[in-house]
Amino acid sequence: MRPRSGSITGPLVLILIGVVFLIRSISPEFRIADLVARYWPYGLILWGTVALIEVFIRFRSNGPIPRNGISGGGWAIVIFVALFGSSVFQFERPDNWFRQVGFQSGIEAFGEEHQYPVNTITRSVGLAPRIIIEDFRGDAKISGTNANTISVTGQKNIGAFDIHDADKANSQSPVEVLTDGNTITIRCHQDRLDTRTSVSTNLDVSVPKGASIEASAARGSIDVSSLTGDIQLNGGNIEDVRLDDIGGNVKVDARGTRSIHCSNVQGTIELHGRGADVDLETVAGQVTVAGDYTGTISLRALAKPVRLESMHTQLDARQVTGYIRLDRGSLDAKDLVGPVKLSTKATDVTLAGFTEGLDLDVDRGDIELRPEHSAMGRIVVHARSGNIELAVPAAAHFALNANTENGDIDNQFGDALKETADGRGAKLEGSIGNGPDVNLVTQHGSITVRKATAEDAAETKAAALNLDR
Amino acid sequence: MNSRAALFAQAIRGPILLITVGVLFAMHQAGVLAFYRSWPLILIVVGVMKLVERMYVPQVPPPPPPFGERPQ
Repeated sequence: MRPRSGSITGPLVLILIGVVFLIRSISPEFRIADLVARYWPYGLILWGTVALIEVFIRFRSNGPIPRNGISGGGWAIVIFVALFGSSVFQFERPDNWFRQVGFQSGIEAFGEEHQYPVNTITRSVGLAPRIIIEDFRGDAKISGTNANTISVTGQKNIGAFDIHDADKANSQSPVEVLTDGNTITIRCHQDRLDTRTSVSTNLDVSVPKGASIEASAARGSIDVSSLTGDIQLNGGNIEDVRLDDIGGNVKVDARGTRSIHCSNVQGTIELHGRGADVDLETVAGQVTVAGDYTGTISLRALAKPVRLESMHTQLDARQVTGYIRLDRGSLDAKDLVGPVKLSTKATDVTLAGFTEGLDLDVDRGDIELRPEHSAMGRIVVHARSGNIELAVPAAAHFALNANTENGDIDNQFGDALKETADGRGAKLEGSIGNGPDVNLVTQHGSITVRKATAEDAAETKAAALNLDR
Repeated sequence: MNSRAALFAQAIRGPILLITVGVLFAMHQAGVLAFYRSWPLILIVVGVMKLVERMYVPQVPPPPPPFGERPQ
């Protein structure tokens, strides 16, 4: 009779599964998924060790040695366990991927949300303290007051499978306010938490008006209003940033923001990192937006030079009295004080009411220019592929040099400008009065040069209204 | 005996690989070393085991010489 060469691991696994389910039926608090999520790698190690010992014993006792220590079916089980275990492990982590992309946590979906108050902490401080909020998850609302005290209050939302876990998480994550001279540190202690709970601390902080803020958040949103100090935000995943009535300089460096909104800022604004929407309004200082923002960038009423570098678009202007709105695939701007320098890739560009010169380079996209002011300055436009339309104000003087390598030219100035065919393209040259150079070049596309009409002005007004809505 | 040792070397391959994978995943979960960094260790372990196996496996006999030159 052929000796049985089946492994002992099969029966051992059966016994183990039996024991686990038995424990569960005796004590319902025992969570199998949790156990699997945490200990499955050790299970693999155990299995490997048992199989190794088995082979070793068979070798020493001259028994039959199996061809493979782990059979093909065994490896299939290993792969299954690894996939199952790691996905449950991911699921139970507090900052797993699906929470980072905005889905609610597994705990919040399957567990319960418990709320705990944060006891109010009040400290008296100087008129211009430096406030540091250390790495926290949740929403922080910070507002300036005339009092010279700092007061911290709020609420914690703790997601957990049961109340014991939630209580434990609550006691592990106290909110502390540490004072060291003029520096105040707010600490939420969310980093030392168990993986089975998720704690988001919502802080309501009131500080003296002169305070400056340095905050870093692992996840959540920050709302600051009515402060004269500087604001500096750093963070892994600050979702929403809202800053209103800020006297100092603003610096935001965060990955993955959903929205950044700043209004009424006296100092400079500097944005770095990655995110979606950016909305800046009424800024007295210089503005730099240098990051990858995939949503809508809206800039309005900027008194000092602005530099925008996002994705494939670079824009410099000396002042924005109207607005700039950059969406995916389109850039609209109205009332820019130049010289304006803009280069972009696949974007349709509409510029209305710019002064003192324009240097525009578009890789692929239609260009529509309505300078509106008769002092339109020197204009240099280059498009690799796209139509160019220029609506010149009636009173403007200029020296035109337009050239398309593949396309037509539509000239509404009549004989003042001389049109010549050039292979598959065309050229248009000539001067109206004695004005600055206007060079329009496209490799593929038509060029239209026309006189601005009342409808143009109405159109830009409508666009501006549309923006405000 | 030699072939028995070879069988042994072959049989421990699976368990050792399994233990390696388990250890790497345990380290990944503990946050010591992420799996996407440590996976080349698996290749190294497999390679070492293949080498060990070769030491025990009897040399493959040389192919029989062509007809006609068969030694008497």
